[in-house]
Amino acid sequence: MTRVGPLTTLQDAGRPGWLAHGISASGPMDRAAFERAGLWLGGAGSTAIEFTSGLAFVLEGGPLSMAADGGGYALTINDKAIAWPARVVLKPGDAVDIRPGSWGNWGYLRFGAEIEGELALGSRAANSIAGLGRVLGVGDRLAFGPELERSRAPHPRATEQGQGPFRVIWGLHADTFDHATRGRFIEGSFRVSARMDRMGTRLDDPGGVFAGQRVLSLLSDAIVPGDIQILGDGTPIVLMRDHQPTGGYPRIATLVSADIDRFAQLRPSSDVRFEPVTLKHALGLTP
Amino acid sequence: MSDQTAPLPLIMPLGDRGLLVRFGTTLSEAANRHAVGFAAKAEAASLSGVVDVVPNLASVLIRYVPSIVEFERLAGEVRLLVSASEVDTIDGRVHAVAVEFAGEDLDEVAAIVGVSRSAFVAMHCAEPLRVLATGFAPGFVYLGFHPEALRVPRRAAVRSQVPAGTVLFAAGQTAITSTDIPTGWHVIGRTEFRNFDPTVEPPTRLAAGDMVRFEVAR
Repeated sequence: MTRVGPLTTLQDAGRPGWLAHGISASGPMDRAAFERAGLWLGGAGSTAIEFTSGLAFVLEGGPLSMAADGGGYALTINDKAIAWPARVVLKPGDAVDIRPGSWGNWGYLRFGAEIEGELALGSRAANSIAGLGRVLGVGDRLAFGPELERSRAPHPRATEQGQGPFRVIWGLHADTFDHATRGRFIEGSFRVSARMDRMGTRLDDPGGVFAGQRVLSLLSDAIVPGDIQILGDGTPIVLMRDHQPTGGYPRIATLVSADIDRFAQLRPSSDVRFEPVTLKHALGLTP
Repeated sequence: MSDQTAPLPLIMPLGDRGLLVRFGTTLSEAANRHAVGFAAKAEAASLSGVVDVVPNLASVLIRYVPSIVEFERLAGEVRLLVSASEVDTIDGRVHAVAVEFAGEDLDEVAAIVGVSRSAFVAMHCAEPLRVLATGFAPGFVYLGFHPEALRVPRRAAVRSQVPAGTVLFAAGQTAITSTDIPTGWHVIGRTEFRNFDPTVEPPTRLAAGDMVRFEVAR
C-alpha cells in the first residue's frame, strides 16, 4: 500500500449473530456495491478492501484479477485511466491508483483470490468499536491465496446515484417526540455533516427541527443499523454498520434496509429528507 | 416468578428486519427477568427466519430475514411464546470477580451513601448480583440490583475514557467495562476480569441471568 485514505479496512459480508455479546455485525457500508464488485468477477474472495478517499498500491506478485465498484471513483493502472466500475487482471508490478470522483464515500476492491488473514468470530470484517479486523495503512501488505474458480460474469455497469427522500419506519421512541416535532422531521430538510465514520453520520439541522429538544432519560435499548437518534443537544445521528449494540438516546425513526447503502454514499453538504413508510411497503422497496 | 401473570409486552418493529419485545420502558426487576426469560425461550424455539435473539435490560431484540418470515407472522409466534407459560427463572452460572476497590469516585460514592469507604465496599459485595444485560459496548455488563440504600445517581460529568476492567457504579447497579469507553458512571474499582475476548467463541463469559459474586482483590 503506497497511499491509503482514512477508514480503509477489510470488510466481508459481516459478523451477524454476536449482538448479544455487544458486537454489531459490521460489514460493508454499501453492501450492494460490495456485492456488485463480486458479481463483476463471477466468483470473488469473500473479503474486500473498503476505502474512502482513495488508495494506491503496487502488485508484487500476480497475476491477480480485481474488480472495483462503489460510488464514482477515478481509477488508473500504470497512469492509464480505466472506466469505473472496473474488472481487470493485474500483472506483477502494476501500480493501481484510486482517487475520489464524482460521488460517494465508500468504494470496494474485490479479488479473484482470498485475502489471507485470521478470522475473528468467523469474519474478517473490521469493527471499529470492538477493535476487530484489519485497518489498512501505508506500507501494509496483503497476501493472497490461490486464484479461485470463476464463472462467466456480466460486464461492469455503472450504478447511478439514487435520488429522493430516504424512506423510514417510525422508531422505537417516536412516541416521545411530540406531534409537531414529528411533523417537522418529515417536512424538513437536513444536511449531511463532515462528521461521519463507520459508526454513524451526524446531520446538520438548519431548520432547527430538534432545536430545544428536551433531554430525555431513557432506558438503554436495542439499536439497529439505520436508526436515527437525536442527541441531547438536538443533533441527529444516523447509526451505521459499526453501531453501538444499545443506546439511551431517543430513536425517532429507522432507515429502511433498501436505503442504507444510498445514505452511506451521501457526501457532506448533501440535503436529506425523510419519508415514513409502512413495514409492508418497506419490504417491497428497491434502492 | 410463581404463577404471577406476565404483563403483555409491546411487540414493535425496529426497522424492517428487527422485532422488539418490550417488557417495560423503565428498568425493574420484573421487566428484566421477563426479558431474560423470554430471550431464553425464543432462542430455544429456533424460530424460522430468526438470525439473532438479543436480551436487553427490559426488552428482547429479534433480528429476522423478512424474505423468510414476515413481521406479522413472527409477531404471532412471539405472542404464543409469551403466553405459553409463565416466565422461567433462569438458573445462571455463578462467577467470582475480584475487584481492587480504589476507584477515583469511591470516596465520593461512600459519602453520598453516608458510610465509610470500607463499609461501602462491604455493602457492595454483601450479596451476589445478577447480570441484567450485555450492552452499550462489547462485553459491557450491567449487574443489579443493589438495595435502595446503595442507589446513587450518575455523575454530572462524563469521563471521556475509562479502560477495560473498570468497575462502575450508578443507579443501583454495578457495571464492568471490557473495552475503553466513555462513561458518566462512578468509577469505584478495577478488575483483572475481562468479559471480552474475540479470539474465543463465545467471546464473552457472562450472560444475562448469570450471577456475579464480587470479592475484594488481595
